[in-house]
Amino acid sequence: MTPPPAMPAAAAMTRGAELPDSQTNRDILAVMGRPSLGYFALLGLCVASVGLAAAIWIFQVYQGLGIGGYTHPVFWGIYIVTFVFWVGIAHAGTLISAILYLFRAKWRNAINRSAEAMTVFAVLTAAQFLGIHVGRIWKSYFILPYPNQRGLWVNFKSPLMWDTFAISTYATISIVFFYIGLIPDLAIARDRSTGWRKLLYTALALGWQGTTRQWKSHTRSVLHLSGLATPLVLSVHSVVSWDFASSIVPGWHATIFAPYFVAGAIFSGFAMVLTVMIPVRRIYRLEKYITDYHFENMARFLLLTSIIVSYAYGTEYFIAWYSGVEFEKSAFWLRAFGPYWFSTWVMIICNGFIPQIFWFKKARTHLPTLFIVSTFINIGMWFERYVIVITSLSREFDPAVWGVYTPSFYELGILAGSFGFFAMLFLIFLKIFPVIAIAEVKELDIHHKAAHDDPKVHGAWAEGAR
Amino acid sequence: MPDFDRRDFLKLVGAGAGAAAATGCSDHVEKLIPYVVQPEEITPGIPVVYASTCRECPAGCGLHVKTREGRPIKLEGNPDHPVNRGALCARGQAGIGRTYSPDRIQGPLRRNDAGELEPIGWDDAIELLASKVRESSGRTWVLGADPGPTASDVVDRFLAAVGGGGRVLYEPFAEEALVEATRQVFGVASVPLFDLSKADIVVDFGSDFLETGPSSTEHARQWAEARDVAEHGDGGGRLVYVGPRLSMTASNADEWLTARPGTEGILALGLARAAVDAGADGSGLGSLLAGFDAASVADKTEVPAETIRRLGRALAKAKGAVALPPGVALRSRRAVHTAGAVLVLNQVVGAVGGAMRVPAAPERPVASYREMLSLVKAMQDGDVGVLLVHDANPVHGLPSTAGFAEALEKVGFTVSFASLVDETSERVDLVLPDHTALESWGDAAPRAGVRSVVQPTLRPLFDTRALGDTLLDVGRAVSPQAAERLPAGSFRTLLEQEWADVGLRNVLPAGGVFSAAPASSPGLAPGAARLSVVEPKMTGSGDFTLVAFPHGLLWDGRGAALPWLQEIPDSVTKISWQSWAEISLASAERLGVQLGDVVAIETSAGRVEVAVYPRGGIRDDVVAVPQGQGHSVGHYASDEGQLRGVNVIDVLPAGGVDESGGRAWLTERAQVSATGASRRLPLSQFSDNKRARQLGEVVPLAALANGDGHGTPHVSAAPKEAGHGDDHGGHGGGHGGGHGDGHHEIREPYDPADDAYNDSPYRWGMTIDLDRCTGCNDCVAACYVENNIPVVGERETLAVRQMAWLRIERFIGEGTPDLPVGRAHPQVNNEKLGDVDVRHSPMMCQHCGAAPCEPVCPVIAAYHNEEGLNGMIYNRCIGTRYCANNCPYKVRRFNYFDNQLTKWSEPMRLMLNPDVTVRGQGVMEKCTFCIQRIQSARQGARDEGRLIADGEVVTACQQACGTNAIQFGNLKDDDATVSRTADDPKRGYHALHVLNTRPAITYLAKVVRGPVEEPS
Repeated sequence: MTPPPAMPAAAAMTRGAELPDSQTNRDILAVMGRPSLGYFALLGLCVASVGLAAAIWIFQVYQGLGIGGYTHPVFWGIYIVTFVFWVGIAHAGTLISAILYLFRAKWRNAINRSAEAMTVFAVLTAAQFLGIHVGRIWKSYFILPYPNQRGLWVNFKSPLMWDTFAISTYATISIVFFYIGLIPDLAIARDRSTGWRKLLYTALALGWQGTTRQWKSHTRSVLHLSGLATPLVLSVHSVVSWDFASSIVPGWHATIFAPYFVAGAIFSGFAMVLTVMIPVRRIYRLEKYITDYHFENMARFLLLTSIIVSYAYGTEYFIAWYSGVEFEKSAFWLRAFGPYWFSTWVMIICNGFIPQIFWFKKARTHLPTLFIVSTFINIGMWFERYVIVITSLSREFDPAVWGVYTPSFYELGILAGSFGFFAMLFLIFLKIFPVIAIAEVKELDIHHKAAHDDPKVHGAWAEGAR
Repeated sequence: MPDFDRRDFLKLVGAGAGAAAATGCSDHVEKLIPYVVQPEEITPGIPVVYASTCRECPAGCGLHVKTREGRPIKLEGNPDHPVNRGALCARGQAGIGRTYSPDRIQGPLRRNDAGELEPIGWDDAIELLASKVRESSGRTWVLGADPGPTASDVVDRFLAAVGGGGRVLYEPFAEEALVEATRQVFGVASVPLFDLSKADIVVDFGSDFLETGPSSTEHARQWAEARDVAEHGDGGGRLVYVGPRLSMTASNADEWLTARPGTEGILALGLARAAVDAGADGSGLGSLLAGFDAASVADKTEVPAETIRRLGRALAKAKGAVALPPGVALRSRRAVHTAGAVLVLNQVVGAVGGAMRVPAAPERPVASYREMLSLVKAMQDGDVGVLLVHDANPVHGLPSTAGFAEALEKVGFTVSFASLVDETSERVDLVLPDHTALESWGDAAPRAGVRSVVQPTLRPLFDTRALGDTLLDVGRAVSPQAAERLPAGSFRTLLEQEWADVGLRNVLPAGGVFSAAPASSPGLAPGAARLSVVEPKMTGSGDFTLVAFPHGLLWDGRGAALPWLQEIPDSVTKISWQSWAEISLASAERLGVQLGDVVAIETSAGRVEVAVYPRGGIRDDVVAVPQGQGHSVGHYASDEGQLRGVNVIDVLPAGGVDESGGRAWLTERAQVSATGASRRLPLSQFSDNKRARQLGEVVPLAALANGDGHGTPHVSAAPKEAGHGDDHGGHGGGHGGGHGDGHHEIREPYDPADDAYNDSPYRWGMTIDLDRCTGCNDCVAACYVENNIPVVGERETLAVRQMAWLRIERFIGEGTPDLPVGRAHPQVNNEKLGDVDVRHSPMMCQHCGAAPCEPVCPVIAAYHNEEGLNGMIYNRCIGTRYCANNCPYKVRRFNYFDNQLTKWSEPMRLMLNPDVTVRGQGVMEKCTFCIQRIQSARQGARDEGRLIADGEVVTACQQACGTNAIQFGNLKDDDATVSRTADDPKRGYHALHVLNTRPAITYLAKVVRGPVEEPS
């Protein structure tokens, strides 16, 4: 992990150095004010798509998975694709909160709250796909190793089993992490709200008074949780990648999958943070808190992970050729030139080529470019999973039973619903919780002032500030 | 029967048991016999097996009807029956569905004034028919297939008693031409019988004897016997196929002569002449063969003269050569002369009296198409007062231009005895439903020396009556005089009288009386020399000759009502549920059509639109369409009341008749044109290019004989661990083509040390001999019925979601691992005209020793049992489907819907095998190696305190196989058949061996014998 780069344009990038605390509170809490009509329209759209998806899901449970586009060799469809996609999105939050915290990359503070929220929501979205995907949701508790009289046990050799644990652990840690970080801000919100909100924040703030002792405990908790969460960032998507890598399917069976998936996850997670935060910043006028400098740093991350992911693509093709295994060779050839050529090239262009524009500082700091590129990356990363899951399955060992999978209307409806669900949660989050970690921003401010006084304090920041 | 609840079910179980206990006492109706009075021969859980006879086609195979608690659940071949010797074809296997069909007519129906069929009581119905027969004053006609000697006798007696007009036998694929040809050539009007078991060269002039020939199960068995490589070091019998398209039979041939359709007779005489020139006995045929020198025959048939000479020399030297006369598809207006020419060839090569026997006379009367046409004429002229139709569906089976449906309107009163609704029974005035074959008494005499009995195996499910009983009752009701002329008693009494010489009860266990047919070897009749073998004239114009061939499963269309026959893919094209038109790749290119594009086929008789299947294995001047589809009635036969596929018979002229009055099928030139429309064909195989992967392997005969190089098993010395497979990683890719360059050598024989559990005395395994496999689908049908596998229908078949546990893969040659540039769809058809390198390879769960499916299941629903089986616990499965993704053989099937509830129409649920779990929505399933049969054998062995002996467990696929291609047993028993056959270092291989899955199934590579050589 590279340390935060030098910040020559320090004044521009930091929030107004001399803002009083009360204004910070007001600015950030203003986001939580009375929602506009546009907000309700957007929320309504999200709720409608979630409702449609729910109806489809109920229909699917009643009818069977046959309403999807599954065909004989392709037993996994876009439910798994979308599951992996959302698990990937869930990586940015923890990376920003935990790893960058441990590395003391202070620039993270402006975005960590929303990134953490996205993590939680993405994990929740992803987890649903495990249930949507299985044939017998009503028996899916079989996958839990619960003691029972029949002596039935689960198969710890199965990567799906690992997956269950990885996802549930990750969901737990990210929710706790998110909540702990929220407590001081909830107290601020509590102090400034009335009515049901007051009740809610009072309960959630757990009696936070901002005492030194409480701050000490809080800081400790965040540190420890960061320590706990850091390996998870690497492990969760590694485990998800083993869902594929531990099989024998040509195109899945590759040792590079764990790092490849983790890099891809961070790549897609940062892209999603950008896609969401650029409009949020604009709408709620948070330019003072989330600055171009933050976005530029994220763009650097995108560039780095894009290069890693592209390297992984190259490695896959190279190894398929170098191994000399006909199964692998044909699988990868057909990826690029077979019936799914479209998704493959979307993936390569969106993830490999388009992010290269971030070599240029102008692109990194130009918000419309950032927004468009990050959207392309989101699309590309969804297609990456589509390519991996679908094309590999459709062209396996026995050419007599190759096949072509096309998602059905119902599957696409559930896919749309997943975006609706994620957006719905995020919209609600905007109005319920402070979108920026107020306490941390203030802390930053204090350090900032301190840095002016003593350059030796918190070198990196201070260095940047100069 | 819209709702069928538990109570009804129990009633039927009880009632069925009662029927079994008191077989045939149908006059005495017992609604329910509780098991407090348990029938003596029924033990719940133990099947009772009855011998009977299959009525699905005239071949007359013996059946063993397996019943459980009074319900037939499976049909198997009767091992004692001389025709099929225990095997049973797919059509026979599926025949069980006729009894349980949702199309069953549940009681007598009459047409009311509004023109609708409404229920009527049997007494009223019989009275009604009797009055109509009385009124018709001698103009009562009976039309139908041969219902067996006794029933046929009853029909004749009925007509005699009531003073009827007459009787017309109707069998679409009757052998009139062959009978007439035999009369001309040998002076005996009979159907020659062929025994291929000792043949060293079989020349099949398009009889398609392995699929739709006169007795396919029998001939397949004999043919496999003749080619057994263990017996015959030289590879045994060779098959030369003559025909315009690569049929399933052709795909099993060693040589394929793509003669112009219609010139088979010329080629036969050309071969006879060449054989005579090479020293065969052609006495008395000099004048006949004079004009058939190789050069001129080559000119007419487009078969190279050198090939004719070579084959002639081989035939002259052969000890057991035999030629088979043309099948339905190639019977032209000159079918008699063509068949006669083939018989002459048999005479020349010395087959008469050996591989071909000529019985004194046909055992049963042969149907005549000319008579059928006369009847239609009489009907149109209003000369028929009452028409009784039984065991036939002429509305579908006759060309629409014959006008049978319109003629029916002109008949005073029409009656159908159909058990299942069909196009004919829909149009009649009165329906008097017959029992199905499983519910009836009867008999069959398919040929001399075979008298076979049909016995009921369950109480009739519905309010039906046997044809014989109905006719007797009607006759008695017509007039007292008629009653006097009719015999007393029921049909069963008459049957007992018919069998009085041996005693009906005595023959029931064996299923009939079988004796060797009296052999006769007549000499050539003077008529032989007068045969005039010329190319037939085709009617119509166009670039194509229309070949309307019988569908391998639906046959003439009578199989269309049986769901399995619709769903099982055709052996050649792998299309199910639909009709298709085969044209050559060149023709397709010329017409600008691709797979699935709809073309119009126009002949002098009409026009039909059907989707094309372009293929390499068909002549450019031929368009071939299977018969059998195009039904508008029936739950499975039609597409919800709309036509399913097309009925190609409708573009054949009504007057297509050969010299004998038989029906000519090869009569039309056709114009084929693209319509611009397109449809998806339910095609269940993606590509026939095996990409040189280890599937469907072959080995050249030479390698087998001298044992060099190819012969030695190349078992790697490397430890058998994961990674071993990678050693051979490049193997599949490295080999581009050529036969048997040794992929299969990398076989690892079974080693108990590899087993995860080593304390069981069993490791179940199988060998599949691809040299014996003909690709006929009999095993697939058996698997469907045995294992309660649901039929998913056309729409789901289009989504490739069939549930078959066992499929036959068909590969053409080694294939090429070359990859297409661009995104062109991989070539679906790689056949080449005249090339027969087709590998049929059954694929089912390989029960791997190191199964990829097992470790990935999170809930241990897929597990390995101590006997080496890959278990599948349906109740535990939550449907993650990872096992299926990770299965390299793709043999796992997922229940995307609740197939059992939605796809088993009533009363089909009654035929579910109670030993096999019915799978619900959302679970995975696959071949279990018929674990229920293993369990059943285990219980027997345990009772006797011993281990399961070899041969005690016979899987359903193995049982059905006519050629003994499948062997099953315990690999830990060195003496077991399966161990001995699997231990074949020259031919044995494991599918996709490089993956190191250690399958329990050893395939034995198909032996490539090459073109027929002159014996040295």
